[in-house]
Amino acid sequence: MTAEAATGTLPQVKRPHTGRVRGLLMALPPIVFVVVFVGLPIVNAALYSLGHLGGLNSTTALIATHQSRATHWWGTLGAYRDVFSQDRFWRDLTVTVVITLISTGVTLVLATSIALFLRLSGSVISKGLAALSVVPQFIPVVIASWAILTFYSATGLPRTIAAHLGFSFPIWGYTSVAVVIGSIWTSLPFAVLMIASGVQGVPDAVIEAARDSGASLARAVGTVVLPMAFVPIVIAATFTAIGIIGSFTVPYLTGPNAPTMLGVSLTNFFQAYNQPQQSIVMAFVVFIVAALIGAAYVWANFRSSKDVS
Amino acid sequence: MTSLARPIAASPPQEEQAATQAAGRRKPPWTPRRVLGRALLTLFVLFLIVFIFGPLLWLASWAFVTGWTYPNLLPDGFTLRWWKVVLTDPLLGAAIQNSLTLSPIVVICSGIICLPAAYAFARFQFGGRRGMLIGLFATNAFPKMGLFATIASLFYFLNLMQTMVGILIVQMIGTIVFMTWIPAAAFASVPRSLEEAARDAGAGPIRVFFGVTLRMAMPGILVAVIMSFLASFDEAQGTYLVGAPTYMTMPTQMYSLVLNYPKQVAAVFSILMAIPSVVLMLLVRKQIMGGQLAEGFQIR
Repeated sequence: MTAEAATGTLPQVKRPHTGRVRGLLMALPPIVFVVVFVGLPIVNAALYSLGHLGGLNSTTALIATHQSRATHWWGTLGAYRDVFSQDRFWRDLTVTVVITLISTGVTLVLATSIALFLRLSGSVISKGLAALSVVPQFIPVVIASWAILTFYSATGLPRTIAAHLGFSFPIWGYTSVAVVIGSIWTSLPFAVLMIASGVQGVPDAVIEAARDSGASLARAVGTVVLPMAFVPIVIAATFTAIGIIGSFTVPYLTGPNAPTMLGVSLTNFFQAYNQPQQSIVMAFVVFIVAALIGAAYVWANFRSSKDVS
Repeated sequence: MTSLARPIAASPPQEEQAATQAAGRRKPPWTPRRVLGRALLTLFVLFLIVFIFGPLLWLASWAFVTGWTYPNLLPDGFTLRWWKVVLTDPLLGAAIQNSLTLSPIVVICSGIICLPAAYAFARFQFGGRRGMLIGLFATNAFPKMGLFATIASLFYFLNLMQTMVGILIVQMIGTIVFMTWIPAAAFASVPRSLEEAARDAGAGPIRVFFGVTLRMAMPGILVAVIMSFLASFDEAQGTYLVGAPTYMTMPTQMYSLVLNYPKQVAAVFSILMAIPSVVLMLLVRKQIMGGQLAEGFQIR
């Protein structure tokens, strides 16, 4: 290798400004796709929820019922008032947030336990456990939901075994408990993968040093390992929460008719009740909560890149 | 690339004993506390096995039974006739066909628009690069059903509801993140020194790209392709909103299956639907467990 190659001053090395233009052009197709098919509908829907029934919204406006038409230049809050005045919306919102919090919390606890066990033990059992926890990644969500529903239904396995043992196991099918179980089941693989990879990055020497200084295993884990794996844990938490808060399939197949999660509720309003405006209002409520969670993810990532560089 | 399992370095027993004795800690005896710890661990493992495999095995067994009366532990009888019912039903056959033709097309279209972008994100520095990456990720941050409701309004206007193109677009949305982030991480991890060495040896830029860069990034791209295929194959919500009831894929057909057909049929259909997922995931399990997936989702 010549000296020029070693220092990277060969003529083939791209000069910054040509790389910039070419890079931008190559990166554009998915950006354009997302802007047209995600960004535009969202902006459009925001306008629709404020009562602007013309333009791209005219077709929907033709078939919809219970619509509020714009009364000012900026629109109207009629649709928002309509949704926020309904008790069922607040019940559904509460259920959505509570289920998300519980499911995310339990998923994090399970995933962290499995990841720590894998890191600290490295035995065949721990590897098997980690592999086991990734199995749900292989199974489509529709099937998982249906499997969980039949398992915890009135005629499922826990109930069958309990009947043989002489007591009555509660029926969790079509209740929020099944929704929580389903949400945890489907979120576990990604959380385990993220947290395990984060915990793997903690060097043995650091843990040994903490132990040698007299810290118990629990203390070493709590004050050394987990803070060092902070960013992947936050990533796992935000991904899990965002995935659960807007979910449809799990609550639709395993949950009760009411109160249900907002993902199911907004679909009902869109299709069954033919009130797309109210449906879009609910969608935005979910968007906003998810965006807040997403902001935590971005903050964690930039904080990590600052630490590294 | 960190692998999923990297245990604490094992040393020969004598050295280990000497080392721990030197550090002032002995291997703990079987105290009640340690026995309790082991017992709890065993319970945890059993709990996890039942938690994860229980529902799957329960559903799978329904595919082979004539009937199952509660609260019997064993089914009434075993049969394969439900498989015949599913495989000869024209409606279900159409759904299977739709799924198997649509998903490869989605992956190809997604690859065409996303792979060059992934290369650009990895190799070039341009304004807004990070913002674009985050923006692409943000499409996944939004709850899918709400997004599809807003897209449906646009589709009504463009006459794309209940069309194959509409379903194609909706399924592509779910694959964009996989097809940009993961290949970008793969391209970024190809050492520039190897490419420069190839160029020094006289290879042209195209030869360098196909022979060195692409080849080394292939595992990551393969993971992206498979994750995208599965994302499209399993996509139920958007496809349901846009395609039902004219175009049914396997997942959307499940929604009606569980309501209108006997449990055994749903069970058979579930197994059929799970086969591509399991097979493809087994192919890439080394890469996934090896950290390609987790590394792909950190912004650089």
